[in-house]
Amino acid sequence: MIEVKDITKRYGETVAVDHLSFTVKPGIVTGFLGPNGAGKSTTMRMILGLDRPSSGEVTVNGHAYKTMPAPMHEVGALLDAKAAHGGHTAYQHLRWLARAGGISPRRIEDVLELVGLSDVAGKRVGGFSLGMYQRLGIAAALLADPQILLFDEPVNGLDPEGIRWIRTLLQQLAAEGRTIFLSSHLMNEMEETADHVIVIGRGRLIADASIAEFTQRSASSHVRVVTPQAENLAAVLQRAGASVTTAEGVLIVTGIDAPTIGQIAAANHFEVHELASRRASLEDAFMELTQASLEYQAGAANTTNTLKNEHSLAAMEI
Amino acid sequence: MTTVQMNPATPITASRSPRPASFSHTLASEWSKLATLRSTYVTLSLGVLLSIATTALTALAIGATRANVPDNFDPITISMIGTIFGLIVYSVFGVLAVSREYSSGMIRLTLIATPNRSRVFFAKFALVGFIILVAGLVTTVGMFFAGQAVLGAYGMPVASLGDPDAQRMVFGLGAAMVFFPTLGLAFGVLLRSTAGAITTVLGLLWLPQIVGELAPRWSQEHILSLLPSNGVDSMTVGHMQHNPAFSDPAIGALIAATWLVTIVGAAYLQFLRRDA
Repeated sequence: MIEVKDITKRYGETVAVDHLSFTVKPGIVTGFLGPNGAGKSTTMRMILGLDRPSSGEVTVNGHAYKTMPAPMHEVGALLDAKAAHGGHTAYQHLRWLARAGGISPRRIEDVLELVGLSDVAGKRVGGFSLGMYQRLGIAAALLADPQILLFDEPVNGLDPEGIRWIRTLLQQLAAEGRTIFLSSHLMNEMEETADHVIVIGRGRLIADASIAEFTQRSASSHVRVVTPQAENLAAVLQRAGASVTTAEGVLIVTGIDAPTIGQIAAANHFEVHELASRRASLEDAFMELTQASLEYQAGAANTTNTLKNEHSLAAMEI
Repeated sequence: MTTVQMNPATPITASRSPRPASFSHTLASEWSKLATLRSTYVTLSLGVLLSIATTALTALAIGATRANVPDNFDPITISMIGTIFGLIVYSVFGVLAVSREYSSGMIRLTLIATPNRSRVFFAKFALVGFIILVAGLVTTVGMFFAGQAVLGAYGMPVASLGDPDAQRMVFGLGAAMVFFPTLGLAFGVLLRSTAGAITTVLGLLWLPQIVGELAPRWSQEHILSLLPSNGVDSMTVGHMQHNPAFSDPAIGALIAATWLVTIVGAAYLQFLRRDA
């Protein structure tokens, strides 16, 4: 269990992390989401005792990481896969790490085999591809067989095969009951692997919820209703607490779910031709939540163009 | 307990032995880092060979050109002429032992594996100090015998390692070679930059040579004598050479120790406090 308690990190005038609190619960995969520059890496460094919070505290299994007597046995971390000496072989790189934690050299061969680097164990890491560096970084994190794993952007820059490999491995590690804390700015990746998400933007907590809750809460989740009595049904639904927009006899309903709409329509004898609920993807929900907190926002030109195109298409159809 | 396996031959779960990591683990880990790098052997061999070759060539030049031997001919000091080259190479080695970890980002992995920063700091300094002590002694003993052998071949007076003056020079200078590489390691920690730390430590090493001969005598006595290299040299070669910038050996030791404690101490405090 990782407990982040009201941490703030300032670099001069810049506030990288702003009164952030959350708990990474044991035994599940928790995704740590946020746009670039949101403070994800800074937070991970503070969890690992590398950076000191300006205020607040972080504990791992109830202790500050710095004070753990055998930290490698409790926590494994992959921050920057390329943080290795190019002159070391894969085996030698893991050897100095194993020695630091008093870990048996037999374990090095085990983890090398697990990540599929046994054949290149004697090759210098300077010649490794990014995918191989990631595998080596994961081998290093798993060396002492810890229950808690922290991965900072593990799929960044990987090819589809590498991404699939990491996804499979994470699911396997999660199935063993390990606690996994995984940061990413790739939303669809999280949808596949995480059970729970913590979303931050500009160093502040935006959401801390299960994947299902997170996407349901999004305004992008809506129910589409097609009815010949659009205006009347809209009024009834609004009275029931929904917010409704009407366009060409199609109602876009948010605030109440599809079964409830069906019941209301049936009770009031409305004729309904189509009733479909559309759940927002994690990406939609994320974009919506972090829009306000994006550090580097591209101009809104694209959105405007798309809208214009839709209008002209609609005009052509008429 | 059920274990899901990706490959039946390699379970992820291993037997647990969470013994607390100790200083000896950190020392073994740091040793492992340096001892497995080819560059460690290349650099140290280069230091030894450059020093011995410089001494041998100098002795050769002296032997080949001097018909009659002057009264103050000193075969011990002549044989130590290559020291500066070893010192440059070992100082660079000291800087690289830590600056390379900063440039690659590996320092974070080191501190994740061993979050006790004092332990990492002292392990690095103890190890680099020990390696340079061995390399330094190999260098001065090698230079001594090479120098005496070449001078002897030209029929010039030679010294024996049984001579107390020779012993003090050879072992003292060899051991004192640890001084600048240790400062180099400390500058590597302080500046986190290979180029910056090398420039700083070599600048400090060469400062007396650069300004020494040109400076007026009073400044040699009162200012240059306070430089770290003159402090160290007062202890090691002061009994053989006369130089206004040299102090009494005890004062020299005090000067050298002050530099060492100040710079290494500053590096220690920075290493403990700073974000990695």
